[in-house]
Parts: sequence; C-alpha cells; structure tokens
Amino acid sequence: MRRRTRRAAPVALLGVAAMILSACSGGGSGDDPTEGASVDTDAPVTISVGGQPTTENPEQLADFERQVEDFTAEHPNITVEAEETLWEADTFQALLAGGTMPTVMQVPFTEIGALIERGQVADITDQMGESEVLQQLNPTVMDVVTDGDGRIYGVPIAAYTMGLLYNRALFEQAGLDPDDPPQTWEDVRTAAQAIEESTDAQGFGTMTLDNTGGWILTTMSYAFGSTMQSDDGATATLDNPATTEVLEFYRSLRWEDDSMGANFLLNYDDAVNAFAAGQMGMFVQGADNYSNMVVNRGMDPEDFGVAPLPQTDDGIGTLGGGTISIISPTASPEEIAAGLAWIEFKSFLQYTDEEVAVAAAEARIADGLAVGAPGLPVVNDEVYQQYHGWVESLINVPRENFELYLSTVEDLPLVPEPSVKAQELYATLDPVVQAVLTREDADIEQLLGDAQNTIQTALDAG
Amino acid sequence: MVALDDPPTAARAEARPVRRRRPSPMAWVRRGGLTTLVFFLPLLLTFAYFSWWPILRGLVLSLQQTNFIVTEWVGLANFERVLADPLLLTAVWNTTYFTLLAVAIGFPVPILLAVLIAEMRRTRGFASVLAYLPVIIPPVVSVLLWKTFYRPDEAGLFNTILGWVGLGPLPWLNDPDFVIPAIVVQATWASFGTAVIIYLATLMTIRTELYEAAEIDGASILRRFWHVTLPQMRGILLIMLLLQLIGTFQVFTEPYIMTGGGPENRSTTLLLLIYRYAFVSGDYGRATALSVLLALALSLLSAIYLWATRRWSTS
Repeated sequence: MRRRTRRAAPVALLGVAAMILSACSGGGSGDDPTEGASVDTDAPVTISVGGQPTTENPEQLADFERQVEDFTAEHPNITVEAEETLWEADTFQALLAGGTMPTVMQVPFTEIGALIERGQVADITDQMGESEVLQQLNPTVMDVVTDGDGRIYGVPIAAYTMGLLYNRALFEQAGLDPDDPPQTWEDVRTAAQAIEESTDAQGFGTMTLDNTGGWILTTMSYAFGSTMQSDDGATATLDNPATTEVLEFYRSLRWEDDSMGANFLLNYDDAVNAFAAGQMGMFVQGADNYSNMVVNRGMDPEDFGVAPLPQTDDGIGTLGGGTISIISPTASPEEIAAGLAWIEFKSFLQYTDEEVAVAAAEARIADGLAVGAPGLPVVNDEVYQQYHGWVESLINVPRENFELYLSTVEDLPLVPEPSVKAQELYATLDPVVQAVLTREDADIEQLLGDAQNTIQTALDAG
Repeated sequence: MVALDDPPTAARAEARPVRRRRPSPMAWVRRGGLTTLVFFLPLLLTFAYFSWWPILRGLVLSLQQTNFIVTEWVGLANFERVLADPLLLTAVWNTTYFTLLAVAIGFPVPILLAVLIAEMRRTRGFASVLAYLPVIIPPVVSVLLWKTFYRPDEAGLFNTILGWVGLGPLPWLNDPDFVIPAIVVQATWASFGTAVIIYLATLMTIRTELYEAAEIDGASILRRFWHVTLPQMRGILLIMLLLQLIGTFQVFTEPYIMTGGGPENRSTTLLLLIYRYAFVSGDYGRATALSVLLALALSLLSAIYLWATRRWSTS
C-alpha cells in the first residue's frame, strides 16, 4: 500500500503537468495568414493593439482613447483591445510563446530583419494592397520591411537616418561654429580635438555594448564605403578596407588625440546620457533623438545639434532607423486586415486629415513633446509636404538648428542593415571596437579577420 | 487524493492483529491527511507550475528549434552548435576564474569576520547589522553604485581616492585583466553579510567548555580557532562552500550590468552567454542546450564534492 501511494504521487504530478501543458499550448497555434485568399472585412473581429500611452501621459492617453473610439465608430465590426505592451528584446519571445502578443505592436527597425528571418511576424503583402494611403509610403523606408522576394512584413510609422549628433553649446565653447557642423571625418577629428582642449567634455564618443558597438561600426563603414554582407546575405564582408579605416579613425582619436574619454564600456543609455549632460561633444546616433534628449533627459533644446553622417569619397550612405508596426504571426487574414486598418487610422490619418494632424500635434505639445523634430518622412514627399503645411504653425523645435540635416536627409542614400543575422554580426563586432579602444596594440587586421570567420561560420550554418 | 484509490481495508485489518495496522483512507482522513493535502496542494502546484514545469520545458526546448509558432525537433543539433561556439571556451574560463576567485576571497572573509564579531561583547549586534547592510541593498542598485565607483575617469570614487595620493587614474573595468577581479570584489561585498550571519549563529552554538578546556591546556587564540572553532563549524562550512560554488558559477547580474561582458568578452560568463543566445539571437534551443549542460556540470560538481567530503562532513 505504501508503495502504491508513493507511485501515485508522480502520476498525479504528471496529470498536473499534462493539464498545464495543454493549457499552455493553446496560445501557440494559429492560422497561416497566407492561406486564406478571400478576406471578409465586414465580419466581426477583435484585435489587441500595443503601445497605449501610460497614465503618466494623460493627454496622450486621452488622445489615444479618442482614436480608439473614433476608429470603432468607423469600423463597427472591429473591437479594439488596447494594451500598454511595448517592444522589449527579453519579453518579446515570451509574448509569442505565451500567445499574448498583441495583434498589432511596434518594433524598432533593427529587429525586423531577425523577426522576418525567424518567421515571427505576419506577411501582410496581400492585405496591404487594399489600402490607398499605405501605397504612398516612402519607398526607401519600405525596403526595410520587404524581404528578398518582395513580401512585406510591416508598416514603418516613423523613420530617421543615422546622423552625427553634436552639442552646439560645446561647439561654441570650443570656438567652433555650431551652424557649420563637420562634414568630413577629418573635420570631426579636428572638432573633437578642439572640444577636448577647451571644454571639460570628451570630443567624440561611441557606444560599445549590447550590440551598439557593431551597429555604429556598421553605420560608419557605410560612410567609409562598404557594407558588411553581400546583398544575398550569404557572404560576410566585414573584413574590408572601409571598416579597417573606421577602426583606424577610432584608434587615432583614442590613442593619438585622446579625445574619446576614458570609459569604453558604454551602452546606449550611457552614451545618450553623457551626450545630453554635455559630457560628450559628438557621436553617431539616430537623428530622431531630439525628443529623447530634450524631453526625456533634460537637454537644452538650443544645445541639440544634428548633422548628416559625413561621407568619405567612397561613402555609400547611411543606415536608417525607426519604428515599424507589425502584426502577430498568429493573426488570421481578417485580423491582419483589421490590424492594418487600425495602423492606417492611428498613424497615417494625420497625413490625409488636417483636423487629425492638428489635434495630434496639439496633444503632443500639451504633453511637453516635440512637434517637427528632425526625422525621415515615412510617406512620400508630396503627402509629407501637405502634412507639414498643416502643422507648421505648431512646430516647437528649433528646426533652423538642423538646417543642413533637413536639407540633405532625402539625398543621402539609405543603406539597409545586413539582411541576415544582423544582431549576431553586431554582437561579434562589439569586442572588436572595445579592443581598439582599450588596447593600444590591438591588431585590427587580426580582429577583423577573426570576426569575419565567426560570422561566416554563422551564415554558413544557416 | 493521492491515497483515495486504496481499497477498503477494514476486513483485512482484523486478520493479523500482530502486524502494524495498514492505513485506510478513512483513517488517513481522520488523522488529518486531507487537511494536510489541502494545505500542501497550493505549494505543490506552485512548485509544479513555476519550477518543475519550466525545468521540464527547458529540457524539451534544448532538443527543439522553435520560433514559438513552428516547432521542430532537431535532436542534439543545439548541443553541437553550443560546443562549436568559440565563445564557449572563453565563457567557461571566465566563469571558472570568477568562481575560484570569488570563493578564494568570498569564503574566508566572512569566516574571519564572524569570528571577530563573535569576540565583540557590546558591539556585536551593531557589527552584524553593519556586515549585513550591503545585502539589503537591491543587487541592481549596488552593482550600479559600484559601476560609478569604478568610473575610469578622474570623477570615479576609486580614481578620486587614488588621485589624493598622486596615482591613477586607473581604467578599472576597462582593463581586460582586471575586470573579473573588480567584479569579484563587488560581488563579495554585496553578499558576504549573509554568510557572516550564518557563521555567527553557528559560532554561538559552540559550547564554551571546549574553549575553556583548550585554554586550560594552554592553547593560543590561533590554536583554539584551528582546533575548536573550525572543527565545530565544518558541517556548515562545507555546505556554505558548496552553495557558494554553485551560486558564483551562475554569476550574471554583475557582468550584465557593469560591463555587458566586455571588454573583448573578458567578463562574458556562461549565464551571460545563455542570455545572449536567448534574448539577443532569439535562439532558445541553443540557450536551453547550454543551460542543460551547465546544470549537468553543476550536478556533477556537487556530486563529486559531496562524495569527496562525505566522510569529513559528519556532525
């Protein structure tokens, strides 16, 4: 009897485990969105949408809730369940695994490649064709969400190019003209020396942790003339003269000029905080950082400067960034259609409806946010100019300070991120950048050669 | 619930009065078995759901390739990919180095401190509070605090102190050779309080006659420590050593926040590598495969350790 009791315990446990197992696996299954050809857009459907503003931003929240109401009035068959879910690298997989990923959520440009590769985002090509506004998106930006076969996996709702951020106050202190930012890398070096000499701040800086070192090295390599991967993503090309030149540039600033400060373990927040606090003169970063620096981190609006990313004679352009609305890979075709209708209503109505554009801008101003911060239009030029006219009188950022950036943003080619295993590539390059900045005798050729082998092996492994 | 399926045993119970009575469900219920189970069930379910189930799920995941929509069985491919990663050796070495150093510093320090505090008569309470204080600080806060202490420019606390005597500034965490020792110092500082309290409690239970006898025999303080204190504490010492080994082998928070594994992966530990597989590459198969390997290594280590110390650890 005792033996039986003992044996019964594991059996009971297994029963519990099986129950939990079946409860959990419910969330994972879903229809293949490419299967259904006909979509009934009038059928009742419920979608969940992430990115609802939190209660600390009452004006934005009220604006959001009003939009949900208006949307539901216009689409009575669609029920919208709003949630505050935002993209986080360490929670996204759990959202998917648990089946609680909202139907629509926003992800940064840097992640979309990996999501497409892993099949963790819905193919929305078929449903995109239905929308008029979504046909008028900026083609350079659309490249980011389109795979090699021309299938579309997301809607870019905000975009920027990587630029050279500089602190205008430090430029003045160093006797440099803040209205004439550096346009060559030699200019950058000279300006960094001047800032280093005449202020307490470091002249130039670069991030090195959490893949940002590789990300910026890739951006700089574009400006110096090379990509890191063949177009088909099969061959790694990171061991190239341009990248070597970038690392040599880092080395000169670090070891000859000593104009890059003392800390070379900087993640995104470290670098952004140092810049906003006036401890760093220049660094390469997304040009859309105005709100982040001024609103979130208390930088003086007049101190924020952004210039186009300087290019060498061989330079091929700059890297883009931004925010993409994606749809859950488990969504049904009806949910995808409803999700797209929401994205269009939420993010693009301001481009077609003056009243909405003005109301959205006013809500931002009421919340102390920026209107008219530098960025890359996600809609084509014609649509954008019209929108710009509607909100022009409400612009609250000193756009005259970004004159050069704004006048050239459309001209500088936007080079997409490496299409395969970009994050692994960046992770492999982080230590390379750290080596050059922490060891004077770092062997650049060797470092790049090793990194090249590592990434090629990863690419070959598929 | 577990024993409810037992057949009624009233008839059989009378047959052999000499033998111990077999428990019947009714007797079990009467003895309060049901109440015990009701109270035990939430705990059981909590453990099953939050501990045993994830362990099981981890084992299964290590044999799969999944994007959480489509799941594919891949056999041991994940393990092969883990073993083929050139970073694995680096991580193993960094982790071993960290563990050895953390135990070499973090094991004796609390013992000595506990012995010292035990000797204090009036200020014992105050001293133990002081020793325990760092443990109360949330780990992330204390790591960030130390990160600013270690700032490599003149503004860092340690560099400021060095500056007073005309030294430095030193790169601290930016120095590939010093990064692990620097993290060990922080980790020891943050965690030694718990060990001190446990040792102190053990010290209080050692009978004073033993010391008195040793004193009468003319033993010096050192000899008393060696021949009375240490042998009396050996049980707890062995357990604490094992716990520290297992704990330090799983170091994550400190390098994750302080250095992100840098410079040049010189502070990339096994757990940090697992984290990167899972949350940077989204490769859960590989992450769980390495976790399983780590668990195996730790079990093996514990088994060897227990086997080697069994005879000595009698108490």
